[in-house]
Amino acid sequence: MSVVVIGLSHRSSPVALRERFAFAGETIPDALAALRASGIASEATILSTCNRVEIYAVTTLATDAAFAELKKFLVTHHAFDGALGDELYSFAEPHSLHHLFKVASGLDSMVIGETEIFGQLKAAYELAFTHKHTGARLNKAFQRAFNVAKHIRTETNIQRGSVSVMSAAVELAEKIFASLAEHEVLVIGAGETSEKTARALLSRGARGVVVTNRSPERATALAAELGGRAVPFAQWPDEFSKIDIAISSTAATEHILNRATLEPLMKRRKHRPLLLIDIAVPRDIDPAVSELDNVYLYNVDDLQSIATDYVKLRQEEVARCEQIIGEKVAALLTQQNTPR
Amino acid sequence: MAWFTDRHCFLLAVTFYGLSTVYSVFLWRKGFRRDDWVNYFLIATGVVLHTLAMTKRGLTLHSCPVNNLYEATTFLLWALGLASLVYSLLPRFKFLAAFTAPVLFTIGVFALMPSLDPPRGPKPEFSGALRSLHAATSLQAYGAFGLAAVAAGMFLMQRHDLKAHKLRAMLSLLPSIQRLELITFRLVAVGFVLLTIGLAVGSQLPRQEGKPYLSDAKVIWSALLWLVYLESLVAYKFFGRSSRRFALGAIIAFAVLLLTFWVTNLYSPLHNQ
Repeated sequence: MSVVVIGLSHRSSPVALRERFAFAGETIPDALAALRASGIASEATILSTCNRVEIYAVTTLATDAAFAELKKFLVTHHAFDGALGDELYSFAEPHSLHHLFKVASGLDSMVIGETEIFGQLKAAYELAFTHKHTGARLNKAFQRAFNVAKHIRTETNIQRGSVSVMSAAVELAEKIFASLAEHEVLVIGAGETSEKTARALLSRGARGVVVTNRSPERATALAAELGGRAVPFAQWPDEFSKIDIAISSTAATEHILNRATLEPLMKRRKHRPLLLIDIAVPRDIDPAVSELDNVYLYNVDDLQSIATDYVKLRQEEVARCEQIIGEKVAALLTQQNTPR
Repeated sequence: MAWFTDRHCFLLAVTFYGLSTVYSVFLWRKGFRRDDWVNYFLIATGVVLHTLAMTKRGLTLHSCPVNNLYEATTFLLWALGLASLVYSLLPRFKFLAAFTAPVLFTIGVFALMPSLDPPRGPKPEFSGALRSLHAATSLQAYGAFGLAAVAAGMFLMQRHDLKAHKLRAMLSLLPSIQRLELITFRLVAVGFVLLTIGLAVGSQLPRQEGKPYLSDAKVIWSALLWLVYLESLVAYKFFGRSSRRFALGAIIAFAVLLLTFWVTNLYSPLHNQ
């Protein structure tokens, strides 16, 4: 009796194929019941997310037979009539456990080290557990996978840092300000990225948001959406005495903020630190403003470069994580194979 | 164990400060990314040995051990080491110890010079609680100024890295620059209050007849130091002095304090009796 896994993910197949095999949450208990009733598996869990569909099963069948039966189950259950090749992957022990631990740790995710998959895997396991489709073998494997994921999270840098422009901006703000709760954000130009960045700052506790845009209607609508207030575009410099973070993304072809404009504003701010995030192309803020004391200016390239460096850092950590996983899989198999 | 004097004990403490300095170099080269307790325990061991050294000396003298340059310097270092241990317990301030270690080690080695601790002559003329209070508050003030300089150094490093868009600023586990700025200000303010008390108590101590309090080299030096820190605090708090200039001021003022502390002591009749 061993743990096997069959499935398809963002690494092996396009979304058009993945969506054909996706399980709706409410159908999973019945699918698990059908799988067990077919005699292919004595225990099973189905993980179905936007990036992967996987069946983890405990089977007494020979490996090749188990893979063939599981593939047949997937195809039949989803009434799939196309051809399937390398899109579908399958692993037997110890590789199946290795794969499970990697998935739990975010090593197999599109963004290496992301944590959302951990919650999704936990939810999938709990659903199967609640409906009594798991047993000793899968329970142990999943519990160990969650422990390994936590261990990797604390012992390595795999989940460290911001891998998107928005989260890099938030992290920057936290490096400058003691607490975001005391700081207001000014959004100049109601673009999509500035809106997302403002949302991210608000979700991390920023006190409030002020929106300004050449089109007042758009500013009012976004301000209402973000729970902030809108100010006329001509008046945004007046807000500089109150705000501490400004995100700019207008379609202006020239700098809307330069050193000569900012210098007197900084005096009015009593030289409190000011974080300027310029995500406009062409740039809205003259790079010379960063020569001013207490002004921290980051443009879209700077933020992207931070995110890219973090991705590299995470990739450097993969080998360390793989080593930990290898050790933990070996330990689990030794424990399972040792007679009590 | 009679051969094991307080100076041996202090030598051991300085050795631990030295080990902490070496470890700090590794932490610095790694960009202060790993948040471990090794450095904290090295400094803590040093401070324990340091406390033991001062206690031994104090028990021998039956008074607060601040009678010569060696004792004054070790007292200053002790205040600095202890304060850094306390502040290191604040969230994200563990690396304060790494910045303090080089200061403790360098001045500690200097304090070990035998000429700073000459063989004891007759009992000091001035003794008692008031004198101990004067010495303790003044030296604790210098300790606070020292720690302010350390926090200011952390602030300037983090500020530079953030301005230069260095990834090290993001990866390091140092506190936010706003917090570092606040801590620097508070430490300077605490040091200033302690120095004010120290000077006020000092003015009440007995001195040579006919000699005004402000004629002694050390008193003049302390008064100048008091004015420098007062100017720095007032300019920062009320006249918009930038945080960078305030931090630089804290570092320069403490460097000047360290470089002139011994010289003014030597030229001070009041502190050489």
